[in-house]
Amino acid sequence: MYKYVLRRVLLAVPVLLLSSVIVFGLMRVMPGDALVALMGESGNIGERELAKLRKDLRLDLPYHEQYALWVWQMVTLRPGDSLFTGEPITTSLKKAIPVTLELAALAMILGIVIAVPIGVLSATRQDTPSDYVGRVVAVSGLSLPDFWLGTLVITFAAIWFHWIPPIGYVSLWDAPWRNLQQFLLPAAVLGYRLAAATMRMTRSTVLEVLREDYVRTAWAKGLEGRIVVYKHALKNALIPVVTIIGGQLGVLLAGTVVVETIFALPGMGRLTVEAILFRDYPVVQTNVMLVAGTLVTLNLLVDLSYAWLDPRIRYR
Amino acid sequence: MATVTARPAALEEVPASAVEISRTRALWHALRRQPLGAASAALIALIVLTAIFADVLSPYDPLETRPEIRLAQPSWEHPFGTDDIGRDVFSRIIHGSRISLWVGLLAVGIGTAAGMVIGLLCGYCEGRLDLIFQRVMDAIQAIPALVLALAIVSVLKPSTTNAMIAIAIVIIPGNSRIVRGAVMSAKQNRYVEAAQAIGCRHPRIILSHILPNVTAPILIIASIWLGNAILIEATLSFLGVGTQPPTPSWGLMLSSTGRAFMEQAPWLAIFPGLAISLAVLGFNLFGDTLRDAWDPRLRNTR
Repeated sequence: MYKYVLRRVLLAVPVLLLSSVIVFGLMRVMPGDALVALMGESGNIGERELAKLRKDLRLDLPYHEQYALWVWQMVTLRPGDSLFTGEPITTSLKKAIPVTLELAALAMILGIVIAVPIGVLSATRQDTPSDYVGRVVAVSGLSLPDFWLGTLVITFAAIWFHWIPPIGYVSLWDAPWRNLQQFLLPAAVLGYRLAAATMRMTRSTVLEVLREDYVRTAWAKGLEGRIVVYKHALKNALIPVVTIIGGQLGVLLAGTVVVETIFALPGMGRLTVEAILFRDYPVVQTNVMLVAGTLVTLNLLVDLSYAWLDPRIRYR
Repeated sequence: MATVTARPAALEEVPASAVEISRTRALWHALRRQPLGAASAALIALIVLTAIFADVLSPYDPLETRPEIRLAQPSWEHPFGTDDIGRDVFSRIIHGSRISLWVGLLAVGIGTAAGMVIGLLCGYCEGRLDLIFQRVMDAIQAIPALVLALAIVSVLKPSTTNAMIAIAIVIIPGNSRIVRGAVMSAKQNRYVEAAQAIGCRHPRIILSHILPNVTAPILIIASIWLGNAILIEATLSFLGVGTQPPTPSWGLMLSSTGRAFMEQAPWLAIFPGLAISLAVLGFNLFGDTLRDAWDPRLRNTR
């Protein structure tokens, strides 16, 4: 087990390095640079000042030195300052991470709480009307664009209920009620998509497991239906479901980009998109690596959770 | 089934053509029996026909502006209303189907082809090549797809074609992995071993013995990806880095006018979104049908 974890961690290092090269490379070949964007903001700057600025920001170094410098900054956890606002990246991250984390966690909870029971219901009542409804709801969740759903939710909340989510982000600890008002709708929009994928997977694996011998034995012993389904079948059906949820984390994080934009939440997604548009290299690079690192770690945790769900699984 | 399958005369060709016949049959059977499958085929047919005959079907020129009837409500003359500069939304949605389909088909085509080549090579050769390629794929997948697509489009400058390229790149890793898995299991077959034993060359083994095993998963994944590609194109256009105005693209229509006028003229947001949803729904359901008909084992891939 420890060996397995160690090997996975060692494998993750080249993957993250490669990701960093991709991001670094993409940012460098992007046309236009942050300084030009900055100039547009603050009027004209002379050629000499520009050169000085470039030197201050170490943008005059050759690419490989810039890259090495950046990797060192990442390793020592000192990502530097935003080119655009001059704010230390750690400061803006401290503000943005809780927003995205709360959004993602809420979406995930909503998604799972909705998806698993409906998936089980859909499987135990296969080919009944409730199964069809469940499946159509699930496949629509995968088809409705989240930016459309978000826009509609805001519009109709405003038209029908004359209700607009409070503007100006407040943290959960300062004003829990106001904060929840801001987060519930976006989390529901995000959660629906996650729920859709999870629901489909739960349905198909529960269907499979229900045909296994030990489930028949459980029925034969005269166990109650609820116990057979939830205690015997569901736990073994959960492995692919956990994989799907793990795989959806990337989708979830991408979804935050759109949903944060629509609902005006100052999270990681919006920060990254704005940074890409402003060519704010350090911010983009840091954010993407942070997300990539999180995804790699979560995937490892997902893989490790298999052993807990199914003790027959051993890691080599 | 009670019908007798016609057997080809040449023994050598039995596997490939028989597989093809049974696949077409299985798909036909599934489409006739499953209501959702039939609905998806109808939806796709509708969208494809709309895209082909867009010029004939649309009552107005999608680019023609008539400011005097701006933001008109849906009516008999303008079934989906008009936008902020008086363009007919119905005509724009009809023409938008071309962009969505075009981007979807090309992006998925390129992404699938590239993913297939990489997957075939990795799965067949294994070893060091496989290890390196798989790490590169891991690295691409570690970056959230939308962020990667956004960055790629920013590099290439926003346009429909570049959105398509970005989507194709995002598709490659997942596809290559599925093909690789299918190749590795196909390699276990006795006939592959036999082909190697009688000294067939690698390209021949790959093309005539392994490839036929991989086509079903590829087609299934491709049909599911089609829906997703349309969704990503719409999202990129929505964020302003995909199709550029004044070309009618569903995502762009939603973001530019749909959001700005959503309270005065909700139809500007509703109809393009509905069009995207129906198109994606059609391809998703079709992919499901294909999967159930051809390869129930693939159910766990998404």
